[in-house]
Amino acid sequence: MRPGLAGRLSRFLVGCHPRRWRERYREEMLDVLDQHHLTARTAASLAVSTVSTHLDPAWRTERLSLPRLRRAALISAVVAAPLALILGPVGYGMWQDSYWHPAADEPLETAAFAPHTGIMVTAFGEAIDGTDVMWDVTDLSRPRRLSQFEGGQPVALSPDGRTVATITYSGQAAIWNVTDPRRPVELTTLSNGDGSQLEELAFSPDGQILAAAHYDRIFLWDMASPARPRLLGTLDAPATAPEGGGPIPFSQQDLAFSPDGAILASTTGTDQVTLWNVTNPAHARRLAAIGGLGDFIQAFTFSPRGNLLAAVTYHSTVLVYSLADPARPARTATVRGLLTRAVFPSGLPRPSETPLCAACSGLGNYAVAFAPDGHTLTVVVDRAEMSANSGRDTIFDWPVTGSGALGSGTVAARDVADFQPVIAPGDRTVLGSPPGSHAWHAWPLP
Amino acid sequence: MHGAFDGLGRFAEPWLLVLTSLADGPKHGYAIMTDVAAFSGVRMEPGTLYGALSRLERRGWIRPLDTAERRRPYEITAAGQEILAGQVKAMQQIVQVARLRTATAWSA
Repeated sequence: MRPGLAGRLSRFLVGCHPRRWRERYREEMLDVLDQHHLTARTAASLAVSTVSTHLDPAWRTERLSLPRLRRAALISAVVAAPLALILGPVGYGMWQDSYWHPAADEPLETAAFAPHTGIMVTAFGEAIDGTDVMWDVTDLSRPRRLSQFEGGQPVALSPDGRTVATITYSGQAAIWNVTDPRRPVELTTLSNGDGSQLEELAFSPDGQILAAAHYDRIFLWDMASPARPRLLGTLDAPATAPEGGGPIPFSQQDLAFSPDGAILASTTGTDQVTLWNVTNPAHARRLAAIGGLGDFIQAFTFSPRGNLLAAVTYHSTVLVYSLADPARPARTATVRGLLTRAVFPSGLPRPSETPLCAACSGLGNYAVAFAPDGHTLTVVVDRAEMSANSGRDTIFDWPVTGSGALGSGTVAARDVADFQPVIAPGDRTVLGSPPGSHAWHAWPLP
Repeated sequence: MHGAFDGLGRFAEPWLLVLTSLADGPKHGYAIMTDVAAFSGVRMEPGTLYGALSRLERRGWIRPLDTAERRRPYEITAAGQEILAGQVKAMQQIVQVARLRTATAWSA
């Protein structure tokens, strides 16, 4: 307890003693309090004194009687009833809020960065809901929590760090003004016209366009005025069955703009990455489709120069494509079986191997990123089947040539994430929530 | 109350400490607290002190003197001196027996 608070509470408690006691001791007691170093113990001793003097017949001014007790009970009820009516629902609401929006008490699931501003936004919680937290990550080893709001997930952060887009409980995009990241303000909700569930969001590098992917369409919004976004165009991106048959998977859209903002890449939860020319977003058109992979795309990224695209598939195959001619992407590297090459820190028990199969679900969580100089490709693999009790992630690094060929890679293991790892831009750091931890941590990559 | 002599049990009863403090002359509330802390290590809080003062006063073992500004000194009464002397004697007897028995036990 702060000394000032202890002092105020102690003086208040002196006034709570019976009237006769106060007439006799109040002034000298206050004199003692003026000289004494007041702490929580002082307040506690006065609270005990208050109760004991009220129970002491010597200090009572009136005898307790049944009518007096009844009157006291009636007054208490009159005072307490409105308070209970107000505080009850408020307390219940707060409990519900903390129950459904546990904030940092849940593992990290999504993070978006505005690298030049030192601002990051993370999302926690269930897929259809979520709590978003704004962070100052100027120094990632010492992140500062700035604010929290109930926006939903996944999240996208404009490159200037002023606007956050989230996916609300009802599957719509909500736009938040975070110019003051300590006080996020909801600006508007984007209507998609047919109420279909929104899956993914991405800002263009200049922050002028927000791409919002639904099950089979991508909306492009003009964000020049974030409070009044304007629909620029719609891209048809139907989900298709993977090559070789099999059911059309539940839509799992992913989006990314090329560094120059000219190309938008999207997946529809299938084995296909579609490239869109969005130089003129009002007349965006399909450039090319990278398909025939026979495996769902789990994560992809552009190289810093935008001349390469790297993707990781469901069964842990890494693919690199050259976009020298974006209309005709050419595969330049393939690395298969990352999951089977996962390594484990020495001294830790190796989990029993799970056969890899198409029917197996949740084999791994992946994060993929190029180093800022574009000369290294990094993939972090969180093996889902062992993550329940380990959280050991394998970090693969390959040197990348200008044409997109991969050199001999290195493999390292870290206790990073028990769920989805996130590679922070710029400084080779991976974020994740280790097993048993209800907070995210930043780990320097080896 | 709290301090290095927490293990004193009834020897650290607030009323006994207050009477002991007043044995060498009148003192006001805060002076009693500092004196008790000095000779026993027991740091009394104001609530405890005034609980003891009010009970001692009611039993007639101490009496209040005229107030100097807001500070009211208390002095021990003859009855209080008698009670304190009786307590000291009982405690001395306990201490003497304890000394004798521990010395015998340890030398055996």
